[in-house]
Amino acid sequence: MGVIHGEEMVLNIGPQHPSTHGVLRLKVKTDGEIISEITPVIGYLHRCFEKHCENMTYDQVIPYTDRCDYLAAMANNFGYVVAVEELMELKVPEKVEYIRVIMAEFQRIASHLLALGVYGLDIGAFTPFLFMLRDRERILDMFEMTCGARLLYNYMWVGGVSHDLPKGFVETAFQFLDYFEPQIDEYNKLLTYNKIFVERTADIGVLPADVAISYGVSGPNLRASGVKWDLRRNAPYSIYDKFEFDVCIGDGSKGTLGDCWDRYYVRMLEVKESVKILRQALAQIPKDGDVHQALPKKIRPPKGSIYSRTETPRGDLGFYIESDGSPIPNRVKMRSPAFTALAVLGELAGGWMMSDVISILGSLDIVLGEIDR
Amino acid sequence: MSADQEKLIAELVEKGLAGDMDEINAIEDRVLRGKVKSALAKAKRAAKTTTTAAPAEEKRVAETIADTPPSDNPNQKFGQIIEDTFQGSLDAELNDTHIQLKPDNWFEIAKWLKSEPSLHFDSLQCHTGMDMGENMLEARYNLHSMTHDHKIEIRIAVSREKANIPSIEQIWRIGDWFERETYDMFGIFFDGHRDHRRMLLPEDWEGYPLRKDYEVQETYHGIAIPKVKEGWE
Repeated sequence: MGVIHGEEMVLNIGPQHPSTHGVLRLKVKTDGEIISEITPVIGYLHRCFEKHCENMTYDQVIPYTDRCDYLAAMANNFGYVVAVEELMELKVPEKVEYIRVIMAEFQRIASHLLALGVYGLDIGAFTPFLFMLRDRERILDMFEMTCGARLLYNYMWVGGVSHDLPKGFVETAFQFLDYFEPQIDEYNKLLTYNKIFVERTADIGVLPADVAISYGVSGPNLRASGVKWDLRRNAPYSIYDKFEFDVCIGDGSKGTLGDCWDRYYVRMLEVKESVKILRQALAQIPKDGDVHQALPKKIRPPKGSIYSRTETPRGDLGFYIESDGSPIPNRVKMRSPAFTALAVLGELAGGWMMSDVISILGSLDIVLGEIDR
Repeated sequence: MSADQEKLIAELVEKGLAGDMDEINAIEDRVLRGKVKSALAKAKRAAKTTTTAAPAEEKRVAETIADTPPSDNPNQKFGQIIEDTFQGSLDAELNDTHIQLKPDNWFEIAKWLKSEPSLHFDSLQCHTGMDMGENMLEARYNLHSMTHDHKIEIRIAVSREKANIPSIEQIWRIGDWFERETYDMFGIFFDGHRDHRRMLLPEDWEGYPLRKDYEVQETYHGIAIPKVKEGWE
């Protein structure tokens, strides 16, 4: 008996649609309720980041990196300055390294909280979103306390950071961590093990490890497929080799290895690991030291090119920078983790139901600002 | 500056270096005081660099000695392996930063780089284009092996008139989007790509923005595109 095919219909999701997390358009070919083909169309938020970089000095690029991944701006600053410093062979004071790691890990928690909360929202759970945003707010308050900005910081500079930690920051941070750790259990009760949530995410959108690597998928999405790969551990930059933490991977405990639930849960586990790193870093940070001491007068990397990677909340953020010896970069290429995560969507979502597409897209945690640059 | 003044400055700088700043601060003439202070800063910086430069130089010498015979640099090592397997595929001398290849065999080489167990470059980390000037364009690939944890950079140069490079989209699947973006921004064509369209810009956009001589089109669908007065600001 042959399979009966209905007429195929092309459906447009977006560019203005709440579940696309920004201005993303999905061209979906459906056969009844089943997806037969899905094509992401991007570029609606393209702001010529790379062209702009070729016309400004190295330090002027930093505020632009904020606006790429606007949910993890600290991590983007970090990735860029690490690349430039590597190109210049510049060493920064230990205190600066500690401050950077503290900020990057707080940013990871903030970004993951938003990702997890919004994922619940996509699936229909409204309350956990409010809980997580409430706690994220306290991290943003700490950022505001340090550099005055809540979302776009321009905090990390080549050779240092813009402001030293304010008085009382370490105490506030410890207070927050003491308050925050029990909250994770509450999130788990509310959302992670919720039967409806598990039904909607477990066994859905399974991403095998070899496909993930071939698509360049990185970060939590790759680890959820069971690949123990974290740049903070496998190719440590800054001072990440000084801290004890686990690299969390998915185990398929609710369904299949690499399904949506695993991608969600790896983020939840990583939040805990970030808390671990933060406790160590906050306890060890040197009291004295000038954060402006190593700021170079003129940023003029020698002729050459570099490809440097850092681990942002979304995965491997790479900067390919070519210098011609002048104060203006010849080329800056940003290899964004969300770009590669979205590229795999076409492979992941085929064959699933229409409602699962929202589950799958949400679990990849994409930010369109970083994809379109 | 008179000789007297120079002598005075030199004396005060010496005192300053020894930690005695009172005399310098007591100078009434603002210009002179400024000169002394700047000379002092210069002297301090010079002292610092001489103390820190010495170990760095030592290290550099040690490195070059260790490096010479069979190079450990992955670009040297793997470049030699590629040349041994695919003769005549190198486009330039081997060096530490990258492997320069000709476009002709690129698909076969890429396939081999991924499938050969001792190399196993399973991850295409980054791919981008570059406008080299003098009518040349270049495609660059940063490859990484998750199993062996080694990485290389491959560069392929083509002329603007014949900007064709074999597509590796079927080897590393992310190449699909990476190559579309490079085509979009630089106008390099990837032969064999199954979905060769622009990535970020609309399909009917004119020109390739990341080329250095790019000029923005006047209008797009009847909408005038605002010109920035003096270059990009």
